[in-house]
Amino acid sequence: MSVKIEASEGGMPHDKMLGIGVVGALVCLYIVYLNSLMSTDVFAFFGGLAAVIALWWGTDSIKTLCSYGLGTGVPSAGMISLGSGVIAFLFATKLAGISPLLVPLGCIIIAAIIGAILGFISDKVLNMNIPVMTRMIAELTIVGSLTMLGFTAMISGSFIFTDLIAGSVSFLGMVVTSYAASVIGGCILATIFMLGAIAIQHPFNACLGPNESWDRTQMCALECGFLSMLVVAVMSVAFLSLFAVVISFVISIILWGWSYSEYIKLSKRDAYAWLDSKPIREVGGE
Amino acid sequence: MSALGGGSSGGEGINPTASLIALVIVLVAVAVVFLVYPAATVPLIGVIIGGVLISFGVHFVPVGGAPAAMGQAPGIATGVAMLAAGGGLAGLFGGAWAAEFGIAISLAAGAIGGGLLMAITCLMVNVVYVYAMGIPAASGKVDKDPITGDTFPAYKSQGTEGHGLPFISYVGGVLGGLFGGMGGTLIYYELLQVYEEALPSVIGASTEGLTTLAVSLAGIFAVGMFLVAAVLTAYNITGTIEGPHDPKFKRWPRAVIGSSAASAVCGLFAILLVVI
Repeated sequence: MSVKIEASEGGMPHDKMLGIGVVGALVCLYIVYLNSLMSTDVFAFFGGLAAVIALWWGTDSIKTLCSYGLGTGVPSAGMISLGSGVIAFLFATKLAGISPLLVPLGCIIIAAIIGAILGFISDKVLNMNIPVMTRMIAELTIVGSLTMLGFTAMISGSFIFTDLIAGSVSFLGMVVTSYAASVIGGCILATIFMLGAIAIQHPFNACLGPNESWDRTQMCALECGFLSMLVVAVMSVAFLSLFAVVISFVISIILWGWSYSEYIKLSKRDAYAWLDSKPIREVGGE
Repeated sequence: MSALGGGSSGGEGINPTASLIALVIVLVAVAVVFLVYPAATVPLIGVIIGGVLISFGVHFVPVGGAPAAMGQAPGIATGVAMLAAGGGLAGLFGGAWAAEFGIAISLAAGAIGGGLLMAITCLMVNVVYVYAMGIPAASGKVDKDPITGDTFPAYKSQGTEGHGLPFISYVGGVLGGLFGGMGGTLIYYELLQVYEEALPSVIGASTEGLTTLAVSLAGIFAVGMFLVAAVLTAYNITGTIEGPHDPKFKRWPRAVIGSSAASAVCGLFAILLVVI
């Protein structure tokens, strides 16, 4: 049994963050579904917001898990999060065959099942004996799958399997359906995978240490999430109308700029003792 | 190398109850696939074997972590998950390229891809250690290299657990790359067979372009499962390992049981994708 080291004091309780993360991501994903109802694609950017909300919550899950000393680096938790999340996410998109409304909710339930099994394996079979392990790996799997679902919805404006496998190519003025030009067929998923993985594994890895503070780590999570969202907005040029892409891009860049400047402010606050430091003087200089 | 300086927590020994539950999970997954989609039973077993190969192979890789970067522990100076991902994914790409030539050539290509990446990595790591950091290779866990017979204690700096990359660790790294690349390729190859067979009937009559779809789906699933198996193994090793001569190497049965259950569950959902 390992000893818990408190990463940072204060901040929001983890259960509250879990609630905000799940509800916020679900609401944003269901707003994306308005695209199908109203035959438009301007709501695509809500997918990116869902992913960022999930990443914001996932950063705190990683912090809770890693405050027990995994013995290996923080990024490994991010890799297992997305690695198992992508399986739950792809399976959930297929649930759209039953009802498209099932996808976001089904994604959470399937990810929770896979994550709980993986958590049980790491905690009991591998003898890690960390009390929160099963729960946190389950949470991280949900975060990974919601991130994939959100960014995919932002790229294509839909999270329905049949929409994700069919793209269209304009050939000699004719529009032809092509599987290779789709989100899954073109393996855009691989890029989303790494964008999500970097965004979830970086914040706590960058901010951990003796003077780690809750708001700075969470702001770093938002900053990483919006940066990934910006790249996703650029990639959505291939699938969405120009108007929707411009909306996504402008919203991403505004939010990223805001989170980046806030993050720099918080970093300066936490490093206040160094603000007025002078360059090291050489002895006997002048 | 824990995140906040807490002690690494991996205990020794096997938890019999939990291991039994893990084996039941494997059997249940195979039984479910056998009932709903019998043609995919053999591929699922292939996926499970792939996961086992990955987790067994990762134990060979000499992982040094942050202490190795400072010349205070032997091994390659990064974490288990990153090394496994590098070696295994290089193998996976090599094997995926050769998938059309049949399973034997595909697996061989995958193994050579992973082994080659690890061989180059280990060589360059030693070049940096010897010529840039100026440290000789000395293991901290054994006094004598089991293959070359070189002795280590005289070269080991005081206060360190050894440093550099001894020959036995180099061999371990290449073996780990071979197993990891082969395992990743096996997962990819088996899933590709399932999707190529099932997708035309699931999606519709049109088969044009479906190969691209099958390759993409199998590829992203293989990457996901590879990372799951590799990270579970990293949790089993808890930090650093020198290679096959390290006492921690004896923990591999635990990781094999865990990874087989994890691959069975992930493989189950990957195969159920074409059923629902």
